Amino acid sequence: MEKISVQHLNFFYGVKQVLTDISLPIDDRQITALIGPSGCGKSTFLRTLNRMNDTIAGARAEGQILLDGENIFAPTMEVTQLRARVGMVFQRPNPFPQSVFDNVAFGPRILNGARAQALTALVEASLRQVGLWDEVKDQLGQDALRLSLGQQQRLCLARTLAVQPEVILMDEPCSALDPLATLEIEELMRRLRERYCIVIVTHNMQQAARVSDRTGFFWLGQLVEYDATQTIFTRPRNALTEDYITGRAG
Amino acid sequence: MPRDLFERELEQLQNEMLTMAHAVENALTDAVAMLAQRDMEGARALIARDRAINQQRFDLEAQCLVVVATQQPMASDLRIVAAILFNVNELERIGDYAKGIAKINLRIPPEPLLQPLADLPRMAEITRAMLHSALDAFVRRDVALARAIPRQDDAVDALFEKVNQDLLQLIIADSRVTAQANLLMWAAHNLERAADRVTNLCERAIFTVTGEFVEMDADEPGQTD
Repeated sequence: MEKISVQHLNFFYGVKQVLTDISLPIDDRQITALIGPSGCGKSTFLRTLNRMNDTIAGARAEGQILLDGENIFAPTMEVTQLRARVGMVFQRPNPFPQSVFDNVAFGPRILNGARAQALTALVEASLRQVGLWDEVKDQLGQDALRLSLGQQQRLCLARTLAVQPEVILMDEPCSALDPLATLEIEELMRRLRERYCIVIVTHNMQQAARVSDRTGFFWLGQLVEYDATQTIFTRPRNALTEDYITGRAG
Repeated sequence: MPRDLFERELEQLQNEMLTMAHAVENALTDAVAMLAQRDMEGARALIARDRAINQQRFDLEAQCLVVVATQQPMASDLRIVAAILFNVNELERIGDYAKGIAKINLRIPPEPLLQPLADLPRMAEITRAMLHSALDAFVRRDVALARAIPRQDDAVDALFEKVNQDLLQLIIADSRVTAQANLLMWAAHNLERAADRVTNLCERAIFTVTGEFVEMDADEPGQTD
């Protein structure tokens, strides 16, 4: 089922066009990977999906991005609500300088002023979803920065889940993690896929091949090819895709 | 080029596969020539040569796994490595058919053959040429050539049928020749099977280029199903 429909999206930083005529469907309860060389526009594209680029001066989008049929660029779209529905996890874990508990409770407190009892249950549920509960249940008051990097990234994911999003955007979520922590995040993504629409930007093509259902290849701001991951990594249709994934271009 | 080392490793894999294929081609024609000449010593040496072919298969498999583990090939690169893994197994089996013919040579008592072997060497030559072309198609990524090769299997099948009929006639005429005739039938069978396996190599040559698994029916040349 289509969760997001991107239609003829153009994106500009000032006069510079960085995305050109991007159209693609993104299905619910699937993992969609976006690959391409640095500067190809894949992270910019990811950030358009919850309008994170709005904060950049001179940034401008044309076209439509429909979330469950509703254009996220419409004047009636409440951006805070949009970002609650479309959460994001970044390249490096970025926990707030607060306790483990407060990090996860941050969003629900801000967005809907959750009551203490409900909040405790929500924090536990979120930490359980990312497989962190058993590791931190006795240290909920501990400074989040004392966790390992892998734990911090899962904490950030729990923080995202705590506001009960529908879509999770991940911008190279494992680039700062060691191989084991990377595999934990990947395993987690596969579990979360049962409940969420996930879009991941990654430079690690093996990771894209391992975790995603569909893959889009970006090149110079254009979506060159978008297909089932298995097809992209075994017999892509476009020669440029082939050259990129075999390491001969990019 | 960012993948110079990988390109060299792929080329080396292909070259070593061709070296193995060359040994297998020679084994096929040598085994039949030795049978025709009743060269028992040569047959024993050929059986020993097969051990080297088997070792080449294991070495190439190991090298393919190293390339997969260290270079993580994708798309057409992955198909090439996968095809080499498959091909060396097929080549090893074709080598076994040659060894089988050498063993048949040793099982036939030191006596003249029932009739001059004209058709078995012809079968071996056609199979050798098919094998050579199949590897050529693989290395040159020539789909048209790979599709054309299995048609030659018709000639091998026809010769196999003729050899069987001729030997059956000899058995009917004189049942005392049954043992040798039966062994010669098995030698022909080995060659027929070797040619069939060349068809599998052709399928992999096509797969390497197109990414599609195409079954080429050796009995219906040029057909796919």
